[in-house]
Amino acid sequence: MSARADTAASAAWESRVRRARRRGGALRLTRLAGRAAGVAAILLFTLFPVYFMLASAFSDRMTSAVGTLVPRDPTLDNFVHVLTEGDFGTYMLNSLAVACITVVGACVLSLLAAVAVARFRFRFRTAILVMILVVQMVPLEALVIPLFLQVRDLRLLNTVLGLGIVYIALSLPLAVWMMRGFVAAVPKEVEEAAYIDGASWPVMFWKVLFPLVAPGLVATAIFAFIIAWNEFVLALTFMQQSDKYTVAVGLRQFFGEYANEWGHVMAASTLITLPVMVFFVLVQRWLASGLVQGAVKG
Amino acid sequence: MRRRSALLPWVLLAPALAVIAALLLFPLGRIVWLSFREYRLRNLVSGESDFIGPANYVTLFTDSYLWRVALPNTVGFAVVAVVSTVVLGTLVALLLSRLRPVTRVVVVSCIMVAWAMPAVSGTYVWLWIFDVDSGVVAQALKGAGLLGPEGYNWFADRLFFYAVVVLNVVHGGFPFVAVTVLAGLLTVPRELHEAALLDGAGAWKRFWHVTFPVLRPVFAVVTILSTIWDFKVFAQVYLMPGGGVGGSEMLNLGVWTYVSSFGQRDYGMGSAIAVVLTLLLLAVTAVYLRALFREDELR
Repeated sequence: MSARADTAASAAWESRVRRARRRGGALRLTRLAGRAAGVAAILLFTLFPVYFMLASAFSDRMTSAVGTLVPRDPTLDNFVHVLTEGDFGTYMLNSLAVACITVVGACVLSLLAAVAVARFRFRFRTAILVMILVVQMVPLEALVIPLFLQVRDLRLLNTVLGLGIVYIALSLPLAVWMMRGFVAAVPKEVEEAAYIDGASWPVMFWKVLFPLVAPGLVATAIFAFIIAWNEFVLALTFMQQSDKYTVAVGLRQFFGEYANEWGHVMAASTLITLPVMVFFVLVQRWLASGLVQGAVKG
Repeated sequence: MRRRSALLPWVLLAPALAVIAALLLFPLGRIVWLSFREYRLRNLVSGESDFIGPANYVTLFTDSYLWRVALPNTVGFAVVAVVSTVVLGTLVALLLSRLRPVTRVVVVSCIMVAWAMPAVSGTYVWLWIFDVDSGVVAQALKGAGLLGPEGYNWFADRLFFYAVVVLNVVHGGFPFVAVTVLAGLLTVPRELHEAALLDGAGAWKRFWHVTFPVLRPVFAVVTILSTIWDFKVFAQVYLMPGGGVGGSEMLNLGVWTYVSSFGQRDYGMGSAIAVVLTLLLLAVTAVYLRALFREDELR
Protein backbone atom coordinates (compact mmCIF):
# COMPACT_ATOMS: atom_id res chain seq x y z
CA MET A 1 0.00 0.00 0.00
CA SER A 2 2.81 2.38 0.88
CA ALA A 3 4.48 1.58 -2.43
CA ARG A 4 1.35 2.67 -4.31
CA ALA A 5 1.22 5.90 -2.28
CA ASP A 6 4.87 6.53 -3.10
CA THR A 7 4.23 6.08 -6.81
CA ALA A 8 1.29 8.46 -6.73
CA ALA A 9 3.28 11.05 -4.77
CA SER A 10 6.24 10.85 -7.11
CA ALA A 11 3.98 11.20 -10.16
CA ALA A 12 2.42 14.31 -8.66
CA TRP A 13 5.91 15.67 -7.90
CA GLU A 14 7.09 14.98 -11.45
CA SER A 15 4.20 16.87 -12.98
CA ARG A 16 4.73 19.84 -10.64
CA VAL A 17 8.41 19.89 -11.61
CA ARG A 18 7.51 19.77 -15.31
CA ARG A 19 5.14 22.70 -14.90
CA ALA A 20 7.75 24.71 -12.99
CA ARG A 21 10.30 24.00 -15.74
CA ARG A 22 7.91 25.26 -18.38
CA ARG A 23 7.14 28.39 -16.37
CA GLY A 24 10.71 29.23 -15.39
CA GLY A 25 12.78 28.05 -18.31
CA ALA A 26 13.30 29.95 -21.52
CA LEU A 27 11.69 28.65 -24.70
CA ARG A 28 12.87 25.15 -25.54
CA LEU A 29 14.25 26.20 -28.91
CA THR A 30 16.27 29.10 -27.45
CA ARG A 31 17.70 26.76 -24.82
CA LEU A 32 18.70 24.24 -27.45
CA ALA A 33 20.33 26.95 -29.59
CA GLY A 34 22.22 28.22 -26.55
CA ARG A 35 23.53 24.77 -25.77
CA ALA A 36 24.56 24.18 -29.37
CA ALA A 37 26.42 27.50 -29.43
CA GLY A 38 28.17 26.63 -26.15
CA VAL A 39 29.20 23.23 -27.44
CA ALA A 40 30.46 24.75 -30.69
CA ALA A 41 32.54 27.38 -28.88
CA ILE A 42 34.10 24.81 -26.56
CA LEU A 43 34.91 22.42 -29.38
CA LEU A 44 36.49 25.22 -31.43
CA PHE A 45 38.76 26.26 -28.54
CA THR A 46 39.72 22.68 -27.67
CA LEU A 47 40.09 21.18 -31.10
CA PHE A 48 41.76 23.99 -33.04
CA PRO A 49 45.27 23.29 -31.66
CA VAL A 50 44.62 19.56 -32.03
CA TYR A 51 43.59 20.06 -35.65
CA PHE A 52 46.76 22.09 -36.19
CA MET A 53 48.79 19.16 -34.86
CA LEU A 54 46.96 16.69 -37.13
CA ALA A 55 47.21 18.86 -40.24
CA SER A 56 50.97 19.14 -39.75
CA ALA A 57 51.33 15.44 -38.99
CA PHE A 58 49.71 14.55 -42.33
CA SER A 59 51.68 17.10 -44.37
CA ASP A 60 54.41 16.01 -46.72
CA ARG A 61 57.85 17.62 -46.31
CA MET A 62 56.84 20.18 -43.75
CA THR A 63 59.78 22.52 -43.64
CA SER A 64 57.94 25.61 -42.43
CA ALA A 65 58.47 26.34 -38.75
CA VAL A 66 54.87 27.37 -38.11
CA GLY A 67 52.96 24.22 -39.01
CA THR A 68 50.22 24.22 -41.59
CA LEU A 69 46.45 24.53 -41.41
CA VAL A 70 45.85 22.83 -44.76
CA PRO A 71 47.87 19.64 -45.19
CA ARG A 72 50.12 19.92 -48.25
CA ASP A 73 50.12 16.73 -50.29
CA PRO A 74 48.43 14.71 -47.52
CA THR A 75 50.52 11.67 -46.70
CA LEU A 76 51.13 9.04 -44.01
CA ASP A 77 54.89 9.29 -44.49
CA ASN A 78 55.48 11.05 -41.17
CA PHE A 79 53.70 8.27 -39.28
CA VAL A 80 55.51 5.57 -41.24
CA HIS A 81 58.81 7.26 -40.51
CA VAL A 82 58.11 7.63 -36.79
CA LEU A 83 56.96 4.01 -36.45
CA THR A 84 59.63 2.34 -38.57
CA GLU A 85 62.80 4.41 -38.24
CA GLY A 86 63.43 3.98 -34.57
CA ASP A 87 62.09 2.43 -31.41
CA PHE A 88 58.90 4.34 -30.99
CA GLY A 89 56.95 1.09 -30.50
CA THR A 90 59.24 0.13 -27.63
CA TYR A 91 58.71 3.55 -26.05
CA MET A 92 54.94 3.05 -26.33
CA LEU A 93 55.15 -0.32 -24.56
CA ASN A 94 57.40 1.10 -21.83
CA SER A 95 55.00 3.98 -21.27
CA LEU A 96 52.03 1.62 -21.21
CA ALA A 97 53.68 -0.56 -18.55
CA VAL A 98 54.61 2.46 -16.42
CA ALA A 99 51.10 3.88 -16.80
CA CYS A 100 49.45 0.61 -15.75
CA ILE A 101 51.52 0.46 -12.55
CA THR A 102 50.74 4.10 -11.85
CA VAL A 103 46.99 3.82 -12.45
CA VAL A 104 46.49 0.66 -10.37
CA GLY A 105 48.74 1.90 -7.56
CA ALA A 106 47.22 5.38 -7.45
CA CYS A 107 43.61 4.10 -7.51
CA VAL A 108 44.02 1.43 -4.82
CA LEU A 109 46.19 3.46 -2.45
CA SER A 110 44.20 6.67 -2.83
CA LEU A 111 40.83 4.99 -2.27
CA LEU A 112 42.05 3.29 0.92
CA ALA A 113 43.64 6.49 2.19
CA ALA A 114 40.60 8.58 1.23
CA VAL A 115 38.28 6.28 3.18
CA ALA A 116 40.58 6.60 6.19
CA VAL A 117 40.63 10.42 6.17
CA ALA A 118 37.02 10.94 5.13
CA ARG A 119 35.35 8.34 7.34
CA PHE A 120 37.43 8.13 10.53
CA ARG A 121 38.44 10.65 13.14
CA PHE A 122 41.82 9.82 14.59
CA ARG A 123 44.89 11.54 15.99
CA PHE A 124 47.11 13.37 13.49
CA ARG A 125 44.40 13.13 10.83
CA THR A 126 44.57 16.85 10.08
CA ALA A 127 48.35 16.78 10.21
CA ILE A 128 48.39 14.03 7.60
CA LEU A 129 45.97 15.90 5.33
CA VAL A 130 48.13 19.01 5.53
CA MET A 131 51.31 17.00 4.95
CA ILE A 132 49.78 15.39 1.85
CA LEU A 133 49.04 18.86 0.51
CA VAL A 134 52.46 20.23 1.38
CA VAL A 135 54.54 17.57 -0.36
CA GLN A 136 53.06 18.32 -3.73
CA MET A 137 53.85 22.00 -3.60
CA VAL A 138 57.54 21.50 -4.23
CA PRO A 139 58.32 22.17 -7.89
CA LEU A 140 59.09 18.90 -9.62
CA GLU A 141 62.05 20.46 -11.41
CA ALA A 142 63.74 20.98 -8.03
CA LEU A 143 63.00 17.40 -6.94
CA VAL A 144 64.92 15.85 -9.82
CA ILE A 145 68.23 15.49 -7.96
CA PRO A 146 66.92 14.16 -4.60
CA LEU A 147 64.48 11.82 -6.38
CA PHE A 148 67.25 10.50 -8.59
CA LEU A 149 69.38 9.69 -5.52
CA GLN A 150 66.38 8.03 -3.89
CA VAL A 151 65.52 5.80 -6.86
CA ARG A 152 69.18 4.91 -7.27
CA ASP A 153 69.40 3.90 -3.59
CA LEU A 154 66.35 1.68 -4.11
CA ARG A 155 68.21 0.12 -7.06
CA LEU A 156 65.28 0.93 -9.36
CA LEU A 157 66.98 3.08 -12.00
CA ASN A 158 66.16 1.97 -15.56
CA THR A 159 63.16 -0.05 -14.39
CA VAL A 160 59.52 0.39 -15.28
CA LEU A 161 58.71 -0.31 -11.61
CA GLY A 162 60.97 2.47 -10.34
CA LEU A 163 59.42 5.12 -12.58
CA GLY A 164 55.93 3.75 -11.88
CA ILE A 165 56.39 4.02 -8.11
CA VAL A 166 57.65 7.59 -8.42
CA TYR A 167 54.58 8.47 -10.52
CA ILE A 168 52.33 6.80 -7.93
CA ALA A 169 53.94 9.06 -5.32
CA LEU A 170 53.46 12.10 -7.57
CA SER A 171 49.81 11.39 -8.25
CA LEU A 172 48.89 10.18 -4.75
CA PRO A 173 48.52 13.51 -2.94
CA LEU A 174 46.09 14.83 -5.53
CA ALA A 175 44.41 11.46 -5.89
CA VAL A 176 43.81 11.25 -2.13
CA TRP A 177 42.40 14.77 -2.05
CA MET A 178 40.17 14.09 -5.02
CA MET A 179 38.90 10.78 -3.66
CA ARG A 180 38.39 12.32 -0.23
CA GLY A 181 35.83 14.66 -1.78
CA PHE A 182 34.01 11.82 -3.50
CA VAL A 183 33.99 9.56 -0.41
CA ALA A 184 32.80 12.43 1.78
CA ALA A 185 29.98 13.11 -0.69
CA VAL A 186 28.53 9.64 -0.07
CA PRO A 187 25.98 10.07 2.73
CA LYS A 188 27.03 8.28 5.90
CA GLU A 189 23.42 7.04 6.23
CA VAL A 190 23.95 4.78 3.23
CA GLU A 191 26.76 3.00 5.04
CA GLU A 192 24.96 2.92 8.35
CA ALA A 193 21.98 1.32 6.68
CA ALA A 194 24.29 -1.37 5.30
CA TYR A 195 25.72 -1.99 8.79
CA ILE A 196 22.24 -2.27 10.26
CA ASP A 197 21.46 -4.83 7.58
CA GLY A 198 24.39 -6.80 8.99
CA ALA A 199 26.99 -6.12 6.32
CA SER A 200 30.64 -6.43 7.37
CA TRP A 201 33.25 -3.77 6.64
CA PRO A 202 34.66 -5.34 3.46
CA VAL A 203 31.18 -6.11 2.12
CA MET A 204 30.07 -2.55 2.77
CA PHE A 205 33.22 -1.32 1.05
CA TRP A 206 32.80 -3.29 -2.17
CA LYS A 207 29.01 -3.41 -2.44
CA VAL A 208 28.04 0.04 -1.19
CA LEU A 209 30.89 2.53 -1.16
CA PHE A 210 32.80 1.33 -4.22
CA PRO A 211 29.98 1.77 -6.78
CA LEU A 212 29.17 5.21 -5.38
CA VAL A 213 32.73 6.51 -5.67
CA ALA A 214 33.36 4.82 -9.04
CA PRO A 215 33.18 8.15 -10.92
CA GLY A 216 35.88 9.49 -8.60
CA LEU A 217 38.03 6.43 -9.23
CA VAL A 218 37.66 6.89 -12.96
CA ALA A 219 38.73 10.52 -12.67
CA THR A 220 41.71 9.41 -10.55
CA ALA A 221 42.65 6.73 -13.08
CA ILE A 222 42.58 9.15 -16.01
CA PHE A 223 44.55 11.66 -14.01
CA ALA A 224 47.26 9.16 -12.98
CA PHE A 225 47.46 7.77 -16.51
CA ILE A 226 48.06 11.20 -18.01
CA ILE A 227 50.80 12.00 -15.47
CA ALA A 228 52.57 8.72 -16.24
CA TRP A 229 52.13 9.13 -19.99
CA ASN A 230 53.25 12.74 -20.35
CA GLU A 231 55.83 13.32 -17.61
CA PHE A 232 59.18 14.21 -19.09
CA VAL A 233 61.94 15.41 -16.74
CA LEU A 234 61.96 12.43 -14.35
CA ALA A 235 61.58 9.88 -17.13
CA LEU A 236 64.57 11.46 -18.84
CA THR A 237 66.65 11.24 -15.66
CA PHE A 238 65.71 7.74 -14.46
CA MET A 239 65.60 5.88 -17.77
CA GLN A 240 69.13 6.12 -19.06
CA GLN A 241 69.10 3.22 -21.50
CA SER A 242 67.45 4.06 -24.80
CA ASP A 243 65.41 0.84 -24.79
CA LYS A 244 63.79 2.05 -21.55
CA TYR A 245 62.65 5.47 -22.84
CA THR A 246 59.04 6.50 -22.42
CA VAL A 247 57.09 8.25 -25.19
CA ALA A 248 57.61 11.71 -23.70
CA VAL A 249 61.38 11.18 -23.79
CA GLY A 250 61.17 9.52 -27.20
CA LEU A 251 59.33 12.57 -28.52
CA ARG A 252 62.37 14.67 -27.62
CA GLN A 253 64.53 12.61 -29.96
CA PHE A 254 62.53 13.91 -32.90
CA PHE A 255 63.25 17.46 -31.78
CA GLY A 256 66.95 16.77 -31.39
CA GLU A 257 67.80 14.82 -34.49
CA TYR A 258 65.50 16.40 -37.03
CA ALA A 259 65.36 19.99 -35.86
CA ASN A 260 63.05 21.12 -38.64
CA GLU A 261 61.07 17.95 -39.27
CA TRP A 262 57.90 19.23 -37.64
CA GLY A 263 55.91 16.61 -39.51
CA HIS A 264 57.68 13.87 -37.56
CA VAL A 265 57.30 15.69 -34.26
CA MET A 266 53.57 16.17 -34.77
CA ALA A 267 53.03 12.62 -36.05
CA ALA A 268 54.72 11.33 -32.91
CA SER A 269 52.62 13.73 -30.80
CA THR A 270 49.48 12.39 -32.46
CA LEU A 271 50.51 8.80 -31.73
CA ILE A 272 51.16 9.74 -28.09
CA THR A 273 47.77 11.40 -27.73
CA LEU A 274 45.85 8.45 -29.22
CA PRO A 275 46.24 5.87 -26.40
CA VAL A 276 45.07 8.40 -23.83
CA MET A 277 41.98 8.98 -25.95
CA VAL A 278 41.33 5.25 -26.35
CA PHE A 279 41.78 4.76 -22.61
CA PHE A 280 39.36 7.56 -21.92
CA VAL A 281 36.69 6.37 -24.32
CA LEU A 282 36.92 2.94 -22.64
CA VAL A 283 36.49 4.24 -19.09
CA GLN A 284 33.88 6.74 -20.20
CA ARG A 285 31.35 3.92 -20.53
CA TRP A 286 32.22 2.77 -17.03
CA LEU A 287 31.91 6.29 -15.74
CA ALA A 288 28.38 6.42 -17.14
CA SER A 289 27.39 3.10 -15.56
CA GLY A 290 28.84 4.23 -12.23
CA LEU A 291 26.70 7.32 -12.50
CA VAL A 292 23.56 5.33 -13.26
CA GLN A 293 24.20 3.15 -10.21
CA GLY A 294 24.69 6.26 -8.14
CA ALA A 295 21.40 7.66 -9.40
CA VAL A 296 19.53 4.42 -8.62
CA LYS A 297 20.93 4.26 -5.09
CA GLY A 298 20.43 7.98 -4.47
CA MET B 1 35.61 -3.51 18.36
CA ARG B 2 36.85 -0.21 19.69
CA ARG B 3 40.50 -1.23 19.29
CA ARG B 4 39.93 -2.43 15.77
CA SER B 5 38.33 0.80 14.62
CA ALA B 6 41.17 2.84 16.11
CA LEU B 7 43.70 0.89 14.12
CA LEU B 8 41.73 0.60 10.87
CA PRO B 9 42.38 4.11 9.49
CA TRP B 10 46.11 3.62 9.94
CA VAL B 11 46.01 0.30 8.14
CA LEU B 12 44.17 1.98 5.25
CA LEU B 13 46.64 4.87 5.21
CA ALA B 14 49.86 2.87 5.60
CA PRO B 15 50.62 2.04 1.94
CA ALA B 16 49.96 5.58 0.71
CA LEU B 17 51.94 7.14 3.56
CA ALA B 18 54.91 4.83 2.98
CA VAL B 19 55.14 5.79 -0.71
CA ILE B 20 54.69 9.50 0.02
CA ALA B 21 57.24 9.50 2.84
CA ALA B 22 59.92 7.68 0.86
CA LEU B 23 59.53 9.51 -2.44
CA LEU B 24 58.22 12.97 -1.59
CA LEU B 25 58.76 13.81 2.06
CA PHE B 26 62.35 12.61 2.24
CA PRO B 27 63.43 14.34 -1.03
CA LEU B 28 61.67 17.49 0.19
CA GLY B 29 63.86 17.34 3.32
CA ARG B 30 66.91 17.01 1.10
CA ILE B 31 65.96 20.17 -0.80
CA VAL B 32 65.63 22.16 2.44
CA TRP B 33 69.03 20.80 3.54
CA LEU B 34 70.55 21.69 0.17
CA SER B 35 69.19 25.26 0.33
CA PHE B 36 71.50 26.03 3.28
CA ARG B 37 74.55 24.82 1.43
CA GLU B 38 76.95 25.94 -1.24
CA TYR B 39 76.37 23.22 -3.81
CA ARG B 40 77.77 23.82 -7.26
CA LEU B 41 79.22 21.72 -10.04
CA ARG B 42 82.47 21.03 -8.16
CA ASN B 43 80.44 19.92 -5.11
CA LEU B 44 78.49 17.53 -7.30
CA VAL B 45 81.81 16.02 -8.39
CA SER B 46 83.50 15.94 -4.97
CA GLY B 47 80.32 15.05 -3.10
CA GLU B 48 81.16 17.55 -0.35
CA SER B 49 79.26 20.73 0.27
CA ASP B 50 79.70 23.64 2.65
CA PHE B 51 77.11 24.82 5.13
CA ILE B 52 76.65 28.53 4.46
CA GLY B 53 73.62 29.26 6.63
CA PRO B 54 70.90 31.44 5.14
CA ALA B 55 73.27 33.01 2.57
CA ASN B 56 71.31 31.66 -0.40
CA TYR B 57 68.12 33.16 1.03
CA VAL B 58 69.80 36.51 1.72
CA THR B 59 71.04 36.66 -1.88
CA LEU B 60 67.60 35.70 -3.15
CA PHE B 61 65.64 38.24 -1.12
CA THR B 62 68.03 41.12 -1.80
CA ASP B 63 67.93 40.44 -5.54
CA SER B 64 65.50 42.90 -7.11
CA TYR B 65 64.84 40.27 -9.82
CA LEU B 66 62.68 38.32 -7.34
CA TRP B 67 60.44 41.30 -6.53
CA ARG B 68 60.41 42.90 -9.97
CA VAL B 69 60.10 39.87 -12.22
CA ALA B 70 59.81 36.35 -10.80
CA LEU B 71 57.26 36.93 -8.05
CA PRO B 72 54.86 39.15 -10.06
CA ASN B 73 55.08 36.74 -13.02
CA THR B 74 54.31 33.76 -10.80
CA VAL B 75 51.46 35.23 -8.75
CA GLY B 76 49.85 37.34 -11.46
CA PHE B 77 49.82 34.49 -13.91
CA ALA B 78 48.51 31.98 -11.35
CA VAL B 79 45.58 34.18 -10.30
CA VAL B 80 44.43 34.74 -13.89
CA ALA B 81 45.02 31.12 -14.92
CA VAL B 82 43.28 29.55 -11.87
CA VAL B 83 40.21 31.78 -12.13
CA SER B 84 39.94 31.19 -15.90
CA THR B 85 40.44 27.42 -15.59
CA VAL B 86 37.93 26.89 -12.78
CA VAL B 87 35.25 29.20 -14.22
CA LEU B 88 35.53 27.78 -17.75
CA GLY B 89 35.71 24.20 -16.44
CA THR B 90 32.60 24.70 -14.31
CA LEU B 91 30.65 26.32 -17.15
CA VAL B 92 31.57 23.43 -19.44
CA ALA B 93 30.58 20.89 -16.75
CA LEU B 94 27.17 22.58 -16.34
CA LEU B 95 26.70 22.56 -20.10
CA LEU B 96 27.74 18.89 -20.31
CA SER B 97 25.32 17.91 -17.54
CA ARG B 98 22.44 19.25 -19.66
CA LEU B 99 23.36 17.32 -22.80
CA ARG B 100 21.92 13.98 -23.85
CA PRO B 101 24.17 11.10 -22.75
CA VAL B 102 25.40 10.29 -26.28
CA THR B 103 26.21 13.91 -27.13
CA ARG B 104 27.89 14.20 -23.75
CA VAL B 105 30.20 11.25 -24.38
CA VAL B 106 31.21 12.74 -27.74
CA VAL B 107 31.89 16.24 -26.36
CA VAL B 108 33.72 14.94 -23.27
CA SER B 109 35.89 12.75 -25.48
CA CYS B 110 36.73 15.78 -27.62
CA ILE B 111 37.72 18.03 -24.74
CA MET B 112 39.79 15.21 -23.29
CA VAL B 113 42.04 15.45 -26.36
CA ALA B 114 43.20 18.84 -25.09
CA TRP B 115 44.14 17.27 -21.78
CA ALA B 116 45.74 14.25 -23.40
CA MET B 117 47.92 16.33 -25.71
CA PRO B 118 51.47 16.37 -24.33
CA ALA B 119 52.40 19.76 -22.84
CA VAL B 120 55.48 19.89 -25.07
CA SER B 121 53.53 19.43 -28.32
CA GLY B 122 50.76 21.74 -27.13
CA THR B 123 53.24 24.49 -26.39
CA TYR B 124 54.74 24.26 -29.87
CA VAL B 125 51.31 24.47 -31.47
CA TRP B 126 50.47 27.63 -29.49
CA LEU B 127 53.83 29.02 -30.60
CA TRP B 128 52.84 28.38 -34.21
CA ILE B 129 49.49 30.07 -33.69
CA PHE B 130 51.18 33.22 -32.36
CA ASP B 131 54.24 33.16 -34.64
CA VAL B 132 55.63 36.65 -35.30
CA ASP B 133 54.76 36.95 -38.98
CA SER B 134 53.27 33.71 -40.31
CA GLY B 135 51.19 32.65 -37.28
CA VAL B 136 47.43 32.29 -37.62
CA VAL B 137 46.82 35.28 -35.35
CA ALA B 138 49.33 37.50 -37.15
CA GLN B 139 47.86 36.50 -40.55
CA ALA B 140 44.33 37.24 -39.40
CA LEU B 141 45.32 40.64 -37.96
CA LYS B 142 47.22 41.47 -41.14
CA GLY B 143 44.21 40.47 -43.22
CA ALA B 144 42.03 42.77 -41.13
CA GLY B 145 44.53 45.59 -41.61
CA LEU B 146 45.24 45.79 -37.86
CA LEU B 147 48.87 44.74 -38.16
CA GLY B 148 51.63 45.90 -40.47
CA PRO B 149 53.55 43.50 -42.73
CA GLU B 150 56.40 43.35 -40.18
CA GLY B 151 54.23 41.35 -37.77
CA TYR B 152 54.40 41.58 -34.01
CA ASN B 153 56.59 39.72 -31.54
CA TRP B 154 54.11 38.70 -28.85
CA PHE B 155 56.84 36.93 -26.90
CA ALA B 156 58.93 40.07 -26.29
CA ASP B 157 56.12 41.62 -24.27
CA ARG B 158 55.61 40.23 -20.75
CA LEU B 159 51.84 40.71 -20.83
CA PHE B 160 51.38 39.04 -24.24
CA PHE B 161 53.90 36.34 -23.36
CA TYR B 162 51.86 35.35 -20.33
CA ALA B 163 48.57 35.79 -22.19
CA VAL B 164 49.74 33.02 -24.53
CA VAL B 165 50.80 30.92 -21.51
CA VAL B 166 47.33 31.45 -19.98
CA LEU B 167 45.65 30.24 -23.21
CA ASN B 168 47.96 27.22 -23.32
CA VAL B 169 47.49 26.33 -19.63
CA VAL B 170 43.72 26.87 -19.64
CA HIS B 171 43.44 24.78 -22.83
CA GLY B 172 45.24 21.89 -21.16
CA GLY B 173 43.77 22.42 -17.68
CA PHE B 174 40.03 23.07 -18.01
CA PRO B 175 39.12 19.49 -19.07
CA PHE B 176 40.25 18.21 -15.66
CA VAL B 177 38.01 20.71 -13.87
CA ALA B 178 35.11 20.03 -16.25
CA VAL B 179 35.29 16.24 -15.86
CA THR B 180 35.70 16.38 -12.08
CA VAL B 181 32.89 18.90 -11.56
CA LEU B 182 30.68 16.94 -13.97
CA ALA B 183 31.26 13.74 -11.99
CA GLY B 184 30.32 15.71 -8.88
CA LEU B 185 27.28 17.35 -10.52
CA LEU B 186 25.79 13.97 -11.28
CA THR B 187 25.93 13.04 -7.57
CA VAL B 188 23.78 16.05 -6.62
CA PRO B 189 20.33 14.67 -5.81
CA ARG B 190 17.88 15.70 -8.52
CA GLU B 191 15.20 16.35 -5.90
CA LEU B 192 17.19 19.26 -4.48
CA HIS B 193 17.19 21.00 -7.85
CA GLU B 194 13.56 20.22 -8.42
CA ALA B 195 12.58 21.58 -5.02
CA ALA B 196 14.49 24.80 -5.74
CA LEU B 197 12.82 24.96 -9.16
CA LEU B 198 9.39 24.68 -7.52
CA ASP B 199 10.37 27.55 -5.23
CA GLY B 200 10.95 29.60 -8.40
CA ALA B 201 14.73 29.81 -8.20
CA GLY B 202 16.47 30.83 -11.45
CA ALA B 203 19.47 29.04 -12.96
CA TRP B 204 22.04 31.17 -11.14
CA LYS B 205 20.28 30.81 -7.76
CA ARG B 206 19.95 27.05 -8.24
CA PHE B 207 23.67 26.80 -8.94
CA TRP B 208 24.75 29.08 -6.10
CA HIS B 209 22.38 27.81 -3.39
CA VAL B 210 21.96 24.16 -4.34
CA THR B 211 24.80 22.87 -6.53
CA PHE B 212 27.68 24.86 -5.09
CA PRO B 213 27.15 24.00 -1.40
CA VAL B 214 26.82 20.29 -2.19
CA LEU B 215 29.91 20.31 -4.42
CA ARG B 216 31.97 22.52 -2.13
CA PRO B 217 34.59 19.79 -1.47
CA VAL B 218 34.93 19.13 -5.20
CA PHE B 219 35.34 22.84 -5.96
CA ALA B 220 37.83 23.19 -3.13
CA VAL B 221 39.92 20.36 -4.55
CA VAL B 222 39.93 21.57 -8.16
CA THR B 223 40.76 25.11 -7.06
CA ILE B 224 43.62 24.03 -4.77
CA LEU B 225 45.01 21.72 -7.44
CA SER B 226 44.81 24.32 -10.19
CA THR B 227 46.54 26.76 -7.85
CA ILE B 228 49.35 24.31 -7.13
CA TRP B 229 49.81 23.48 -10.83
CA ASP B 230 49.65 27.04 -12.10
CA PHE B 231 52.08 28.41 -9.52
CA LYS B 232 54.79 26.05 -10.71
CA VAL B 233 53.95 25.75 -14.40
CA PHE B 234 57.15 24.81 -16.21
CA ALA B 235 57.23 23.45 -19.76
CA GLN B 236 54.71 26.00 -21.06
CA VAL B 237 57.05 28.84 -20.02
CA TYR B 238 60.41 27.16 -20.44
CA LEU B 239 59.83 26.20 -24.07
CA MET B 240 58.63 29.61 -25.25
CA PRO B 241 61.09 32.07 -26.85
CA GLY B 242 62.79 33.90 -23.96
CA GLY B 243 61.10 31.69 -21.40
CA GLY B 244 64.08 29.55 -20.48
CA VAL B 245 66.73 32.24 -20.50
CA GLY B 246 68.26 33.41 -17.23
CA GLY B 247 67.88 37.14 -16.72
CA SER B 248 64.95 37.51 -19.11
CA GLU B 249 61.77 39.20 -17.94
CA MET B 250 59.72 36.06 -18.48
CA LEU B 251 60.89 33.64 -15.76
CA ASN B 252 58.54 32.49 -13.03
CA LEU B 253 59.74 30.88 -9.80
CA GLY B 254 59.37 27.32 -11.12
CA VAL B 255 61.49 27.96 -14.21
CA TRP B 256 63.94 30.05 -12.20
CA THR B 257 64.55 27.09 -9.89
CA TYR B 258 65.46 24.94 -12.86
CA VAL B 259 67.57 27.60 -14.58
CA SER B 260 69.55 28.20 -11.36
CA SER B 261 70.09 24.50 -10.73
CA PHE B 262 70.82 23.20 -14.19
CA GLY B 263 71.64 26.34 -16.19
CA GLN B 264 73.87 28.08 -13.68
CA ARG B 265 74.80 24.86 -11.82
CA ASP B 266 74.00 26.44 -8.46
CA TYR B 267 71.90 23.70 -6.84
CA GLY B 268 71.93 25.38 -3.42
CA MET B 269 70.33 28.52 -4.86
CA GLY B 270 67.95 26.48 -7.00
CA SER B 271 66.81 24.65 -3.86
CA ALA B 272 66.36 27.94 -1.96
CA ILE B 273 64.07 29.24 -4.75
CA ALA B 274 62.15 25.96 -4.64
CA VAL B 275 61.70 26.29 -0.86
CA VAL B 276 60.43 29.87 -1.25
CA LEU B 277 57.95 28.78 -3.94
CA THR B 278 56.81 25.91 -1.71
CA LEU B 279 56.28 28.27 1.25
CA LEU B 280 54.38 30.69 -0.98
CA LEU B 281 52.07 27.90 -2.15
CA LEU B 282 51.68 26.79 1.46
CA ALA B 283 50.56 30.28 2.47
CA VAL B 284 48.00 30.40 -0.36
CA THR B 285 46.68 26.95 0.47
CA ALA B 286 46.48 27.84 4.17
CA VAL B 287 43.94 30.49 3.22
CA TYR B 288 41.82 27.86 1.42
CA LEU B 289 42.21 25.43 4.31
CA ARG B 290 41.09 28.04 6.86
CA ALA B 291 37.97 28.60 4.81
CA LEU B 292 37.41 24.85 4.75
CA PHE B 293 37.91 24.45 8.48
CA ARG B 294 35.50 27.26 9.21
CA GLU B 295 32.88 25.46 7.16
CA ASP B 296 33.79 22.20 8.88
CA GLU B 297 34.32 20.64 5.46
CA LEU B 298 37.25 18.51 6.61
CA ARG B 299 34.94 15.93 8.08
